[in-house]
Amino acid sequence: MTAAISASGLVKSFGRTRALDGLDLSVDTGAIHGFLGPNGAGKTTTLRILLGLLRADAGDVQLLGGDPWRDAVALHRRLAYVPGDVTLWPELSGGEVIDLLGRLRGGFDARRRASLLERFDLDPTKKCGTYSKGNRQKVALIAALASDVELLLLDEPTSGLDPLMEAQFREIVMEERAGNRTVLLSSHILAEVEAVCDRVTIVRAGRTVESGTLAELRHLTQTSVTAELAGPPSGLAELPGVHDLQVDGTRVRCQVDAGELNAVLGQLTAAGVRNLVTQPPTLEELFMRHYRTDAQAGDDPSRGHPEVAR
Amino acid sequence: MTALAGTGPLVRLCLRRDRLKLLIYVLVVGAIPIGMAAAYKVLYPTAAGLQAFADLSMSTPATVGMLGLIYAPTVGALTAWRAGLNGMFFIAPVSILLIVRYTRAEEAVGRRELLGGSVVGRQAPLTAALIVVCAVDLLLGVFIAAGLISLGLSAAGAVVMGLSAAAAGWVFAALAAVTAQLTVSPGPARGMALVMFALSWLVRAVGDLGRAQGLAWLSWLSPLGWVRLTRAFADEQWWVFVLFVALGAALAAMAYALSARRDLAAGILPVPVGPAEAAPALNSPRALAWRLHRGGLLGWSVAAAGFGLLLGIVGVSMAGFVDAPQMQAWAQRMGAHDAGDAFLFLTMFVLGQVISVYAILAALRLRSEEVEGRAEAVLATAVSRLRWALSHVTIAALGPAVLLIVLGLTIGLGYGLTAHNLVQDSPRLLHRTLLTLPAIWVVAGIAVALYGWLPRRAAALTWAAFAVFLALELGWELQQVSQSLFNISPFAHVHWSIQVTATPLLGLTALAAVLAAIGLLGLQRRDVG
Repeated sequence: MTAAISASGLVKSFGRTRALDGLDLSVDTGAIHGFLGPNGAGKTTTLRILLGLLRADAGDVQLLGGDPWRDAVALHRRLAYVPGDVTLWPELSGGEVIDLLGRLRGGFDARRRASLLERFDLDPTKKCGTYSKGNRQKVALIAALASDVELLLLDEPTSGLDPLMEAQFREIVMEERAGNRTVLLSSHILAEVEAVCDRVTIVRAGRTVESGTLAELRHLTQTSVTAELAGPPSGLAELPGVHDLQVDGTRVRCQVDAGELNAVLGQLTAAGVRNLVTQPPTLEELFMRHYRTDAQAGDDPSRGHPEVAR
Repeated sequence: MTALAGTGPLVRLCLRRDRLKLLIYVLVVGAIPIGMAAAYKVLYPTAAGLQAFADLSMSTPATVGMLGLIYAPTVGALTAWRAGLNGMFFIAPVSILLIVRYTRAEEAVGRRELLGGSVVGRQAPLTAALIVVCAVDLLLGVFIAAGLISLGLSAAGAVVMGLSAAAAGWVFAALAAVTAQLTVSPGPARGMALVMFALSWLVRAVGDLGRAQGLAWLSWLSPLGWVRLTRAFADEQWWVFVLFVALGAALAAMAYALSARRDLAAGILPVPVGPAEAAPALNSPRALAWRLHRGGLLGWSVAAAGFGLLLGIVGVSMAGFVDAPQMQAWAQRMGAHDAGDAFLFLTMFVLGQVISVYAILAALRLRSEEVEGRAEAVLATAVSRLRWALSHVTIAALGPAVLLIVLGLTIGLGYGLTAHNLVQDSPRLLHRTLLTLPAIWVVAGIAVALYGWLPRRAAALTWAAFAVFLALELGWELQQVSQSLFNISPFAHVHWSIQVTATPLLGLTALAAVLAAIGLLGLQRRDVG
């Protein structure tokens, strides 16, 4: 399989801020690729380099076989982009913007436009100046999804959408998989990436910290279990996939790998469950748990950079 | 009282945001009448001189229409006449724009929501806006009154004049408070209030001009009429302030009532809708740029046409006074063949500089499109940076040409129709108007060049360059700046007092093209966004 996007060692600084610090990213053609990281990790900067809006200070980048800076116009015919913070022309209606952006990209599918309008429940006659953030997001999404392109670059596309529309978005992205389009989906919501993506790249402080299939990253998706039991539990510590076990009388807390939950629940119900809370880990917890040392080094610019004098 | 909770901090927030701008507004707008009074004292030291000036002004319909009636031939009364309504051209729009800025604009961008979550009462933002704007207008009135008293004018007249300015500002602030409740976006709220301002100006102009036909009562229907009807320095009519206060209070009460019954961020009027699908022609960056600029260009064109007609008509009446020896000397100094021409050349030149403002705004639209992320939306499609930038640069180049043509044609029309010499006058005046175009292009070219290479500073540096050009001209006219230094300004080469030849026009056009090309080259090479 060829790579739709391959970037290595990307560096980009804005003044004294180093937004990208050797970032690597490789997206296979036809894959739905999650681009995961907390706010400020460098996701948007990477996307804007891929669009040729910014020029990387160092590193190599290839997009659909071309150079995004040099071949921007030709490449943009083959891709569609949804920015994270969508701003539109207040005097144009939503429908006008969808058509305009589609035409500037080189054409779109009118039937698909109509069905997307319906699915996203958007009124295209409203002026963009009166749309909420979520509705502006929908305009950009419909414009992108209705175009007949090979690659979709989506920057936190569900921020501002309500849960119903978020579900609708996931469904549509799943359909894209069948259409053999490549999708790069930037997000800071782990659950969203888990739900739709084949592969994931995790970035932090401008650097790639993990990259692989979801199965390979399964160790990241532990469920946190807190239970109040009728009696003291037994045999939990011996179960595979149980981490950070804390037993305080009849109270139990632990982290359980995905796929091992059934056995753990069996042990808990054997002891008698009075109260049970399970939670998927938030991205923040994930970073706290897996990249703490990395995080500390990244957060303190003076560490590892002895030349920075106070 | 909970509806007003948080008003104090909001007042401080408004002042924190705009304290410098508000101070400049008070000082500049206040200095105009004070300066005029000082000038009249020097220019017309005798009662006969004042009388002659008053008679001349009152016999010119354009000045009566613009500025209203003169009630007495004294320095004070002439100042109140010359500066009273003139000042309203600043005070009313500023009061309107500030109120909308502090209320509807805040809601539209969602900052009001941010505050609504904290301890801020429903009516607090409106109250804070009214307090700030009314206080600033009052400060302006006090400044005017104090300045006029310091020049030795009567205290009663000075206070009435200052208070008229402030009170009219209050009325338009209260009016804007009402329109700000009506629409969801701030643009129409501003527009409606400004249209009301224009209408009340028109009503009083008709009343003042038609006083012989028994239309004087019309002036009493307009708050701008009241500004003159307080009769500062000419048997002051204090009771007219009751009208100001009553109308202001009624409008404010209406604003509060509307604000109390509507939802946050909602309006009273229905939200305007647009087409569900784009017209087939909306398919290129150029079509988009035209769509974005056409409303503004239309507004400027209407204003240019209005000014043009008015000026053409006034130009003829100026020509009629050519017998006055001062006028003749003035015209001779300028090298025009009569005073009417000289007056028109000067005014066209100044309006050409005003049209430079349009050119700068149109060129800097590139920057605002980029800053607000809308350029990104276009540049992420199959549109090159050059094509996108050229779409706006084209408007910045052709828009001023359109405005100058409108201005020239309407001046020619007004002048030709009044002087019964339309065929000869129109082409002559249109030609003279278009002479400023290359200088305007240079100013727009500077904006594009700076945008390409110094995007963050482009707006500030462009306006600074424009201000320097105007300052050099002023210095040159006062003979403090040498000709060679003034030549830095593109306007030096198309100045109204010189015979303009083809060489400087071609030179300026070429310079503008080079500047634009430099800017576009810079844009190719830098980061966008």
